Amino acid sequence: MRKNIRTLKLLTWILGTGFLILLPFLIPTRMHVAVIALYYAILASSWALLAGYGGQFSFAHMAFAGIGAYTAGLIGKFIRITSAPTGACTEFSLGNWWLVIQDTASPTCLESAKATMPLGTLIIKLPPWLDITMGILVGGLFGLLIGALVLRLRRTYLALFTIAFAEILRTVINAERDVTGGPGGLKVAPLFPNGASIGNHTFSPADKLPSYFVMLALFLLVMALMYWLAGSRFGLFIRSIREDEEAAASLGVDVVRYKILLFTVTAMIAAAAGGVYAHFVRVIAPNMMVIKEMSIVIAMAVIGGMESLLGAAIGAILIEFALEQLRSNITVGPFTLNMADWRLVVFGGLLMLTLRFWGNGLIYPIIQRITRGGVGEETVAKRLQQPAANDSSSLPDAEGPESVP
Amino acid sequence: MLRNRRIWLALSLLVVILLLAACGGAQVEKVGEPTQAPTEAPTKAPEPTKAPAATEAPAEDQGPAKAPSGEPVKIGAVMPLSAPGSVTGGKAMQAAFEIAAEEINAAGGILGRPLELIMEDTEGLPERGAAVMEKLISQDQVVAVVGEYHSSVGLAEMEVAHDNHIPIVFAETWNDKITASRYPEVFRVAPLSSEVAQLDTDFIASLGVKKVVIMTENTDYGIPAAEKTTEKLKDRGIEAVTFSADPGTQDFSSIIERIKGESPELILVLLTGETSFNFEQQAAEAGIGPQDVAMICNQVAADSESFWKNVPDGNFCFYRQVGLPPVLWTDKTKAFAEKYTAKTGEATPPSYAMEAYDSLWVMVTAINNAGSTDPDAIIEALENISYEGALGTITFPVNSKNPPEKAGKEDKWWHQFPDFAAVFIQYQQKGQMSSDAPVVFPDKFKTADPILP
Amino acid sequence: MTHPSIFWYTLLWLILWGAIGALITPRVYARKDKFTHQTALLGSFIGAALGPIGLILLWIFTPQLTAKWLLGSGLIALFWLALAFAKAAPENLCVTSGSFVATQIANGLVIGSIYGLMALGLTLIFSILGIVSFAHGEFYMLGGMVTYYFTQVWFPDLSPLLGVAAAALFTFLLGALFELLFLRPMITGQIERPGEYAILVTFGLAFFLQYTTLSLVGASPKKVPRFFDYPKITVPSGTGEIIKITPGNLTFFDTISISSPRFTALIIALILLFALLYFLYKTWTGKALRAVSQDRQAAAVTGINPKRMNTLAFALGGMLAGISGASLVQVFSWVPWVGIPASSRSFVIIVLGGMGSLPGAFIGGLILGVVEALGAGCVPDPHRAAAYLPAYGMIILVLVLLLKPTGLFGREL
Repeated sequence: MRKNIRTLKLLTWILGTGFLILLPFLIPTRMHVAVIALYYAILASSWALLAGYGGQFSFAHMAFAGIGAYTAGLIGKFIRITSAPTGACTEFSLGNWWLVIQDTASPTCLESAKATMPLGTLIIKLPPWLDITMGILVGGLFGLLIGALVLRLRRTYLALFTIAFAEILRTVINAERDVTGGPGGLKVAPLFPNGASIGNHTFSPADKLPSYFVMLALFLLVMALMYWLAGSRFGLFIRSIREDEEAAASLGVDVVRYKILLFTVTAMIAAAAGGVYAHFVRVIAPNMMVIKEMSIVIAMAVIGGMESLLGAAIGAILIEFALEQLRSNITVGPFTLNMADWRLVVFGGLLMLTLRFWGNGLIYPIIQRITRGGVGEETVAKRLQQPAANDSSSLPDAEGPESVP
Repeated sequence: MLRNRRIWLALSLLVVILLLAACGGAQVEKVGEPTQAPTEAPTKAPEPTKAPAATEAPAEDQGPAKAPSGEPVKIGAVMPLSAPGSVTGGKAMQAAFEIAAEEINAAGGILGRPLELIMEDTEGLPERGAAVMEKLISQDQVVAVVGEYHSSVGLAEMEVAHDNHIPIVFAETWNDKITASRYPEVFRVAPLSSEVAQLDTDFIASLGVKKVVIMTENTDYGIPAAEKTTEKLKDRGIEAVTFSADPGTQDFSSIIERIKGESPELILVLLTGETSFNFEQQAAEAGIGPQDVAMICNQVAADSESFWKNVPDGNFCFYRQVGLPPVLWTDKTKAFAEKYTAKTGEATPPSYAMEAYDSLWVMVTAINNAGSTDPDAIIEALENISYEGALGTITFPVNSKNPPEKAGKEDKWWHQFPDFAAVFIQYQQKGQMSSDAPVVFPDKFKTADPILP
Repeated sequence: MTHPSIFWYTLLWLILWGAIGALITPRVYARKDKFTHQTALLGSFIGAALGPIGLILLWIFTPQLTAKWLLGSGLIALFWLALAFAKAAPENLCVTSGSFVATQIANGLVIGSIYGLMALGLTLIFSILGIVSFAHGEFYMLGGMVTYYFTQVWFPDLSPLLGVAAAALFTFLLGALFELLFLRPMITGQIERPGEYAILVTFGLAFFLQYTTLSLVGASPKKVPRFFDYPKITVPSGTGEIIKITPGNLTFFDTISISSPRFTALIIALILLFALLYFLYKTWTGKALRAVSQDRQAAAVTGINPKRMNTLAFALGGMLAGISGASLVQVFSWVPWVGIPASSRSFVIIVLGGMGSLPGAFIGGLILGVVEALGAGCVPDPHRAAAYLPAYGMIILVLVLLLKPTGLFGREL
């Protein structure tokens, strides 16, 4: 029995992953949307971990993605490694190499230093994976600080504080245009600055396919990490905190610590997604953090099913494709509906209705039906069939499969 | 189970690290070697940017007036249609594109085939603009792109157009950097921001003021414009102080008190949309409005209906009108204005509507001249074009045959429409329509003297 | 700033001793076996105000904590900060011109009273339903939109006051409808986790209302002309006038200048404030509302129907935001997204004033108004002064959460 369930689950996972890997061959012209859909899937499912599992409502998830993106972008803009000192910029020696910062006070220092540096000096821009990693760390740091500041207080404070934090971060990035480029955006190097080659085929930096696989790999990694977390003691604790904080505390769960940990981990996941996104779209602007974007991520998670990581992810992917598809205007007789606006109205309405009538979301129940529904019936039937049988295997079955959906 | 998960975790981690490490090579530059652009070299998109074989054989036997037939030729049009973009601007451009597309199809289409105009919303977001361009090029397979309102978005779109070698004619992006990129694919019918700053300076100097406050928008349009104007004013011995605010700012009372403290003789407003209306009306209420201090309201003031509704105390506002002043309108301008009024109910088309209209017509004319939708052929035809449009005769005289070095011009003139007209107009009566308001500068178009408070 | 270092070092000094005070004082009190409640706050204030000397004295004497101590030390700390600013930027208008500062403060108070009115609605909802409405800014936006359509489009000759009344009615009904359809199930047990549900469903409502409005009315800015054109009056005429009124502006004592539509909005806000107080304290329904906010069960026992009070509270809260919007649509140009900064502001205000405290919300509004006005007025760099407007409120928020999460008048958590 147990084996069956596992095989079924494994099969679903393999099928799902296989589908995502083959997706580029099914819709080769829509790769951009596919990558963005995966980006939203990472954000929505990590938000589902934070809010659906842990009950912590943060509106700063996009802000963390923004922190990841801007850290990656700013490192690319300001930091270089050189094999000789420039003598003009702010620099630190790392043995034979120098870490050079072209700060805003001397933005062209490196250009002018080129004249004086010995011929053949190497000037290296940090590779994308390194600046994404830095972005993840910075995101985690912010998550830790905010968590430590607010998570001791009541739940509502987190929601209020994060909404304000997201706005302020956007304001600061907008206003400090010398550093961040302001509303005009910040240019970021492509994910594969020198192109990529697999076998004989060479992809140019502008090609979407390699970026798709990077985002897909990140998505799978993040899903694996989150399922592992959710299934571990940590997952148990955060669920207990969500159900009843006082009870959890009285049973010895260090409530604040686990909440902060959860907040930090999801912030880092968001920052990772933001970092890859920045390198993919190659120009980021503070508007990636507007409330509207956050609303979209929340709605994706809710419609997919807030209590299911997979549900939220699938919800995000489907909704992103649907939103892109719904852009063209609809004309009914003399009326033209400007779908650019109306699609969001439909979306907001759907969010409210889902919350009100289908608390588990629209997609999670379907997943449940596929992976578990049949099993449950089967188990019941089996038990009815052999009521006297003291088959030991029926006991664990009665508990149902993994507690993690 | 737990151990199992760990193995999975470790495995996927490994995969990711391998992937990232495989890809993310660092960009290395060697001092002394010519700055290579190797990263851009293999950029040419593998997929064909032109429609299948039929493209190559222009249907020359068909007369231009015949109804177009066959596979449509696709052209993309980009503009902001939802917030945070300037929806007012985007909607006006959309109407203009629709008018132009109807006219083109009525006049025989492109190469005898119908024009299919695919309009996309860029939301005023640079990354959205890039995404929309990718979609137009790879999914819809457009042969060319026209439009755009926001400079910041245009800068992002330009890169995609360049990467995919698709010609683009920008309609209302003023930032100098766009044409200064010298990308072969990039053309512009909008004015240059620095030239507009020059015009502003000339006008301000002609009024004889000595102290100016610039109230600008904290964007890619506002800040460079303010900086350039300040610089040019300084050359004329006029002092300028700049205040900036984010688009969307409502309450200007604190800033207005500070501006009062500077006691300016003229206020130059470089805000856009509702933000500029908020500032102008609040300034008027605080006693430094256009009736108390000379004020150059931004060009959104040209939309007189909206202006008077939002700034009822805005009498004596000066504003800059880009595009031909009504006295110089060509037949084409008049015809377009008529259609525009019929379509939208607005009295006069704003400059960005005219630019959008012309950008599409220029592109279509170039494709017809080229006789093919091959990008290189279109670009060559654009460089040689001389098209009578709503903005006047559109040409791109600084081009690959006459590069900026040879023409003795700066890079920003590359593929730039040089002869755009811009005039200063003043509302001299409350509630006046912008088409009735007199031109006060420059002298050759002048219909009345400026009234200073 | 001519000598920025003076200001920044002073700020650093204040923060340093404030932090030390906040960390150590509770321990000292605990060691001496004294009541440690809020001693961290006191320690940080004393540390910032009087530095090490004050702290040592505090630790030696460990006085009983009273509001006077807090207020006194807080004011002294502010004084140091202001002094440092004056020394650092002697040419700044905030330092050289008294009338400039007076006008900024007056403007801040005027706009702050309207923020306060709006936050009052939010705090009212919180005190009865125990939820924060994330759609509060959208009610504010709708109030302005309805007033515009009533007085400008549908009935062009309608008195603006009737427009405000229409906005009030509309937002009241909308609030009631939403409460009945979406929030009522929370108390009847149809929703699994009401707290989380409330956050999300009001957030969804905000999104829905904003985009519905955008789709219906478009994005072009709208504005209602001044509700009242004041006559030109100068009292007394000649020099040294006390009040000078022009159609657009009011000048008091020749120094403080307030634009007239803002003044009208202030009057509307004050009238409403008093009407609300009268309602809450003098009418049966109002008393019932307050009773429910204090103790649901006990109120239910005395025959008050808490469910109906929920509906009423949400509708009233929405209406207060709607009226704030309606009274400001003659001051600002109106677009469908004006609600976003407004709701952020309301959140800051209710945390500052204390969640659920009615006087706290109003006073919090005034404080935020003044801080924003002075921030935009005094920050020396003209590029950043206005760009950082939303940040000033945020600084308050962080300070409150760090020092006194219950806010000025909040109930203990």
